[in-house]
Amino acid sequence: MNDVDTTAQSALDILAPYILETSRPIPRRVDVRIKVDDLVPAVKALLDANWGYLVAITGIDRPAVQPTEGEPEGEDHIEVLYSIGQGPVCLFLRLMVPYSAPQVQSVCGLIPSATLYERELMELFGVDVVGTPDRRRLIVAEEFPEGIYPMRKSFKAARTMSSDEDEVRE
Amino acid sequence: MTDQSGVNKFVVPIGPQHPALKEPGHFDFTVDGEIVTGASIRLGYVHRGIEKGAEDRTWTQNIYLMERICGICSHVHASSYALGVENLADLVSPPRSKAIRQIMAELERIHSHMLWLGVAAHEGGFDALFMYSWRDRETVMDLLEKVSGNRVHYSANVLGGVKFDITPELADEIRMGLDILEERNRHYLNIIMNDETLIARTRGIGTMSKETVERLGAVGPTARASGSERDLRLDAPYCLYKEFPVKLVNHSAGDLHARFIVRTEEVIESIRNIRLVLDNMPEGELTVRVPRRIPAGEVYSRVEAPRGELFYFIVSGGGEKPERVKVRTPSLCNWGTITAVAVGHKLADMPMILAGIDPCFSCNDRLVTVRRNHHEPQVWSWEQLRRYGVEYYK
Repeated sequence: MNDVDTTAQSALDILAPYILETSRPIPRRVDVRIKVDDLVPAVKALLDANWGYLVAITGIDRPAVQPTEGEPEGEDHIEVLYSIGQGPVCLFLRLMVPYSAPQVQSVCGLIPSATLYERELMELFGVDVVGTPDRRRLIVAEEFPEGIYPMRKSFKAARTMSSDEDEVRE
Repeated sequence: MTDQSGVNKFVVPIGPQHPALKEPGHFDFTVDGEIVTGASIRLGYVHRGIEKGAEDRTWTQNIYLMERICGICSHVHASSYALGVENLADLVSPPRSKAIRQIMAELERIHSHMLWLGVAAHEGGFDALFMYSWRDRETVMDLLEKVSGNRVHYSANVLGGVKFDITPELADEIRMGLDILEERNRHYLNIIMNDETLIARTRGIGTMSKETVERLGAVGPTARASGSERDLRLDAPYCLYKEFPVKLVNHSAGDLHARFIVRTEEVIESIRNIRLVLDNMPEGELTVRVPRRIPAGEVYSRVEAPRGELFYFIVSGGGEKPERVKVRTPSLCNWGTITAVAVGHKLADMPMILAGIDPCFSCNDRLVTVRRNHHEPQVWSWEQLRRYGVEYYK
């Protein structure tokens, strides 16, 4: 096994109790789906084993797809990705956070620098990060309305509106 | 903004229009006399909605958008994005284009570090060093302009390769410029190592241990000045960094002085690396064809920008536009170190400590929207926005 494989495997060994689903799209990337409640213990397990550092927290809006005939209606989700880098390998802890309970636990107790990413998640995606030390606004203006989350797909940017109008005119 | 808990605490608000930095950021320093006892940061003043905007532009248009995230390290943004999209499309750009990307990236690193040297010197009161280093930085700006036609947004990348070639004549011009740059930077390194006032102003200031930088997730020269060995050019090589590797530059002291040394030595290392690539340029095409629709999938892309690790996460739904482009810039990682390091220092040291991480606000602040008082965001058309702008400045 080379360096990349050893590093990737060691992450999977550490996370073994939490893994719901795992994949390795390219040698340098390991994806691990975990339960929302397992986030803090999983991150702690990695840190205790001295595995990696937090690279980024990414939110992705995943609205439910239109159900096909006979299928039950899906639920809207925000997918939250915790990217943790170690040498050449990048690990992605993936959480599916439903719109109905948009909450994740803060990892700031373990990684203080996560505060900037967590506040971004709260302001732009509307995911409540429980226990994050600083809840003041970081990115959007103070007078920006509550409950509007610009990075959700339902939020249309000005340009999208005008191009829709163009289509109507045509 | 007053602290409710403390007794006799005095908060010095600085910014957003900043006396030290040329970009907007707001800082609250809690002080006890001259000594800083706490610090907090408010970003977002130059948030422009680029991540949201990316979802509304085609794959090709986004290259130009990404390049405009930063006016200093524009090339690494476009490279990182292009590398990611090429990965999604399961393509590899030709070796010659990789060499040109690498040369541009290293030239950009030289210009960025020399710009930083000037800014940091200026914050410390060394205005002669500031003016000399910026004069000499013009050499690398001229090289970038000769190669690409532009000083700032070189626009070297297209999806699948690069736009222009580096001919043997251009290569010779670059080599001549590099000779001047090497001589000057060796001179600056000598000053940094030996000038007593500069040492007095930087040594033992803003010291961070290797454990601290790694715990706080600092990246780039800020981390390497504390003995960290993180450098993606070595850890996870892209372009031709595997064939033509750079040497790791780090320093164990962890103070502001070490940050001066690491960045200046990195410039000299970049010069060596560019010469190496120029002498061994692979022959061949500059581009491969990339389809208009990019296959569905997700990809991450990490490159070493002048300020440290730059991270992109790109999601494609299989269409002509990306579903999501996440950008995590190195400055964001390094902010955390400021709040930790500021405590215990004199207020007068703050400008240099701030400048020490080489912060780039436009990199941090990318998203936003139009404000209003009620519950729904007001959506303005381009025409309304233009009219508002015209009225505002009347």
